[in-house]
Amino acid sequence: MKLMKRIEFFQLVQPLTEKLYSMAFALVPDDLQAEQLVIDSMNAFLLKEKKLVLNKLVDLESKKNAQLLRRTYYKSILRYMCEIGVRRSHQMGETSLVQPAENFRAFFALDPKVRFVMKLRFEGQFTAQEIEEIVQLPKYEVIEKLHNGRFLLLNDLNRGVHL
Amino acid sequence: MMDQNLYSKKIIPYLDGSLSASERSEFEAYVHTHPEFESQIRTKEDELAIVRSLIPTPLIAREALDALETEIRESIMNLLRDEPRNLRGKIKDAWEEWLSR
Repeated sequence: MKLMKRIEFFQLVQPLTEKLYSMAFALVPDDLQAEQLVIDSMNAFLLKEKKLVLNKLVDLESKKNAQLLRRTYYKSILRYMCEIGVRRSHQMGETSLVQPAENFRAFFALDPKVRFVMKLRFEGQFTAQEIEEIVQLPKYEVIEKLHNGRFLLLNDLNRGVHL
Repeated sequence: MMDQNLYSKKIIPYLDGSLSASERSEFEAYVHTHPEFESQIRTKEDELAIVRSLIPTPLIAREALDALETEIRESIMNLLRDEPRNLRGKIKDAWEEWLSR
């Protein structure tokens, strides 16, 4: 067990970059904005959790420990992403000229927090309890958002089929 | 029959991962003893697969990914450090930064 160096922290979170980008895209459906959201979420995490990261004793020799730690940091970064991204998504909604692809229009018509919760569940494979921690909502609201998202997406699909 | 209705309502929470550990094992035990119930689960699984296909999974270009990783590394190197208290600390930081290039 030893204190983690900065470069070790980078090596630990580096494999998360693509996943973070994909999650960010659910909130801000624009390449550059999504990249910016990843950077801002990471910066917010580093500024707020710096002491926690630097003072934590870790054993990175063990693959299992490293994976567990990576997942813990992933969830923390996503928590900041949710907070920043939902706000940004609302702001973008009023000004954005970016049009999402036709087959995902129904998804991007959903409320940003519903989109994020859906993405966490279906792509991130997070449990309702983990989502609860990430989006900082009570479990019943997480379940409600998952239910609404599913219902609205399937409803939109059925409407399209019947037209 | 009542049991079946009760457990039918639990299919989506089960697939959603929102059941508690005890509810989950209780549900799995019920499915194990009622194989006919599995078709209902499969139908719901198909429905969820459709929902999954309606959620975008964007791909990031290789160059954009490299640039993003570089920015993340710079953020980590700049923000994730205690202020060096003496010359030794400053040299240690500079050495670590040089090594990470």
